[in-house]
Amino acid sequence: MSRKQTPSDFLKQIIGRPVVVKLNSGVDYRGVLACLDGYMNIALEQTEEYVNGQLKNKYGDAFIRGNNVFYISTQKRKGLMN
Amino acid sequence: MASVNPSQLLPLELVDKCIGSKIHIIMKSEKEIVGTLLGFDDFVNMVLEDVTEYESTTEGRRISKLDQILLNGNNITMLVPGGEGPEM
Repeated sequence: MSRKQTPSDFLKQIIGRPVVVKLNSGVDYRGVLACLDGYMNIALEQTEEYVNGQLKNKYGDAFIRGNNVFYISTQKRKGLMN
Repeated sequence: MASVNPSQLLPLELVDKCIGSKIHIIMKSEKEIVGTLLGFDDFVNMVLEDVTEYESTTEGRRISKLDQILLNGNNITMLVPGGEGPEM
């Protein structure tokens, strides 16, 4: 039963782009996507950590374990309400 | 007794029909996502576009994101094809 490849296609497309990663806890990480795998484990560069919409921390490199990931989103500047 | 209806609609077929249209996704927690469905996989991880995120807090927060997202299927409870989202 092999369905649409879209999630894995999406993952290939977004490497190198600035992304927003939201965790199950609600914490937000914004950075450049260095790499990721099928478990949604993520490596980010130039990462900013937002808690409740407020910038809390900056990390040069960050590794996020995939089980915590709620979503991965690409960022566009227009109309980003936060 | 139980006869096989050849025109049965399987759950994933219903989701598949929804590709290209708006879908409303309800999570296990007090959170909902509305967006255009681009695709999904066997785990029902979903790729969506033009997404609005709704959170049920005392103020009823709403976050709007554009572009594409990959939503982790782990937390999904229910999918509503063509849904407009919570009435807020």
